[in-house]
Amino acid sequence: MSESDAVEARVFDTHALLADPPAAEEGPALGSDPFAEPSGADPLAARLDVLERAWRGARVRPGRPLAAVRSEPARGDASPAARPQPPTRRRAPVLPTLGEIELPEPQGLLDRLVGEDVRKVLAAFFHLVEGEGPYDRFGFSPEVTRRAFPIFHALYRGWFRVDSEGHANLPETGGAVLVSNHAGLLPFDAAMTVIDVALHSDPPRLARAIVDRWAGTLPFVNVFYARVGQVIGTRENFADLLDEGQLVLVYPEGVDGIRKTIAQRYRLQAFRVGFIEQALRSRVPIVPMAVIGSDDQAPVLFDVKPLARLLGLPIAPITPTFPWLGPLGLLPYPVRYRIVYGEPLRFHERFGPEGADDARLVRYLANQVRRAVQLLIDRNR
Amino acid sequence: MRRVLVTHADEPIGRRAVKTLYHDARVGLIFAVGDGPPPRSFDKFLSAREPRVVYARVDLARHRPVTDLFHSSDFRAAEIDTVVHVPRHGAAASEQAPLVAGIAERTAETRLLLQHCLEAPGVESLVAVGSAFVYKLAPGNVNRVDEGSELDLDPEVAPEIRSWIDCDMLLHGEVHNDRLRVVLLRVPTVVASGGYVYLHPTLSGRSGRRVRAAGFDPICALISDKDVARAIQSAVHARGPGIYNVSGSEAVPLSLLARWTGRSTLPLPGPLLRLAAAGARFAGQELETALDGPHLRYGFTLDTRRAERELGFRPLDRIGLARAGDGALRLETASA
Repeated sequence: MSESDAVEARVFDTHALLADPPAAEEGPALGSDPFAEPSGADPLAARLDVLERAWRGARVRPGRPLAAVRSEPARGDASPAARPQPPTRRRAPVLPTLGEIELPEPQGLLDRLVGEDVRKVLAAFFHLVEGEGPYDRFGFSPEVTRRAFPIFHALYRGWFRVDSEGHANLPETGGAVLVSNHAGLLPFDAAMTVIDVALHSDPPRLARAIVDRWAGTLPFVNVFYARVGQVIGTRENFADLLDEGQLVLVYPEGVDGIRKTIAQRYRLQAFRVGFIEQALRSRVPIVPMAVIGSDDQAPVLFDVKPLARLLGLPIAPITPTFPWLGPLGLLPYPVRYRIVYGEPLRFHERFGPEGADDARLVRYLANQVRRAVQLLIDRNR
Repeated sequence: MRRVLVTHADEPIGRRAVKTLYHDARVGLIFAVGDGPPPRSFDKFLSAREPRVVYARVDLARHRPVTDLFHSSDFRAAEIDTVVHVPRHGAAASEQAPLVAGIAERTAETRLLLQHCLEAPGVESLVAVGSAFVYKLAPGNVNRVDEGSELDLDPEVAPEIRSWIDCDMLLHGEVHNDRLRVVLLRVPTVVASGGYVYLHPTLSGRSGRRVRAAGFDPICALISDKDVARAIQSAVHARGPGIYNVSGSEAVPLSLLARWTGRSTLPLPGPLLRLAAAGARFAGQELETALDGPHLRYGFTLDTRRAERELGFRPLDRIGLARAGDGALRLETASA
């Protein structure tokens, strides 16, 4: 067999592996802890090892150094020049820790409505904006956030009564992609996640949710989203946020998540894969997380798709309260939210930035993340 | 030693470019070209015993004057090796610009200048200032765009922006030319101390009321006129050709920028805005300001890493509000 034939055979093997993964590597059953290591190696890690070996075998061409496709230098080849260079990074704004912030006396009703801890978080967010302007490069306004935060904080405490765990899995610094399930007609799951992350990280971190482009066409909504730190989901925006070392919150189900009917609740829809590509290119971990409760906040009985198409909307829902109660019918039910953060998945330590160009690898990794999120949901429902 | 020709040197950014290059010891001579008489601020340059600045009045949109310029004895004696093209942007730009041979004046100027730079034996480099409003904007209050982002080739784009796109594509076509080094600087809204604003499709020109889309307040990336001049200076001395985004550190919403620059805005719902745009077109005012278009709804900021890496350009000016002598708060730019 010639060398090129051998490479071709390895490509074939990889495809077979991806198309039909062995049953022994399926991982824990639904409902068990996907991140525990009860016996032996982590099944996800073992599965990735197999995939990585196959991928490397398939992708490395004769004469091409292994380090060119791996992020870490291969054994015996520690030449720094052979490693792919990370993209040029902007310096992330350095936020003070909560202990470093000295608050002035409360001024006005807004300051009195929230506690000192929240005021410190909001004060820290002002450090996200560089330069003389009151906005950052994505339109985020700490002042607008300061005004909006008490309202959503009240919903966080009083309406959704959010309970959360796994905050140790949120990286203290540097870029990361938070991947969550998405449900509910209005994106309160995103709002609650942003508040939960802000309240449970020190220095406080602002999760920048990637929102659908459709939201950018909505008058007033697009401005509000941008001012409170949300960003329209273009490739350049995403890459730039990660390269700046920001925490990016994505919903890979997209609008399919909010279209879920009551029969599909807590069942994840197909994941888009762009977040995997960006995470590999920007060399950042992925933190799977689950929001329990959002699927119950506005159960969709039917989605009248022809009407949605006619009106140019992503969904035309029928719920127990909408459209019967008018716009009030869209308000979420007072369900209890539970937010759980899983252990970070460090795909970037196994695969180089070139892995982002391998469609099968990216799809496989996206499915792994989807599985991790689904397991978190199932364990915590 | 570079010997540089600067176009539209009688307008604000051109003046600033001439001043910056004048204080650059690596520039031997500046051949300033403008429509009008030489600015008064050039008096000290022009009256020096051995002047490093020469000024000529040329209508760059007409073929004959431009040809005469490039074949003149003054031009030959100056031994120009670099041409800096700063398109028309000052007070004159707010007037109704005539079409030249069926194309916008800005496009005609750029085409003629490029053609003569390619033919002139001594000219090695062309540094042109373009607009970042050429990018196709996705829905959203702000988009990050880099040099590889898609241009807005929609035939319905406002004529003001269309002329920038035409200039951009003319220059883009020669970026890989072996004979001439072409550098295109895509700049966002340019502001200057005192609340002046240039190269913005809506806010540029005379002060007064502007319309904007209700429910939208797009982020506008800003750069000071002094930073534009510094970027031009970096591009003059750079070695390679290319297209570069250059921008300052600040970005503010359109409504705030209008307030900072002493202009008021009237938010109009989409249908009314389209009606106003149609009315302006009917009245022949379409080139004065772009009354409707994506730039009124969707904003952008620029990824400037390529310029930082290859030109060594970093903005030095901060842009903010300061209290002027009359007590009013106005936009100011100052070095950090």
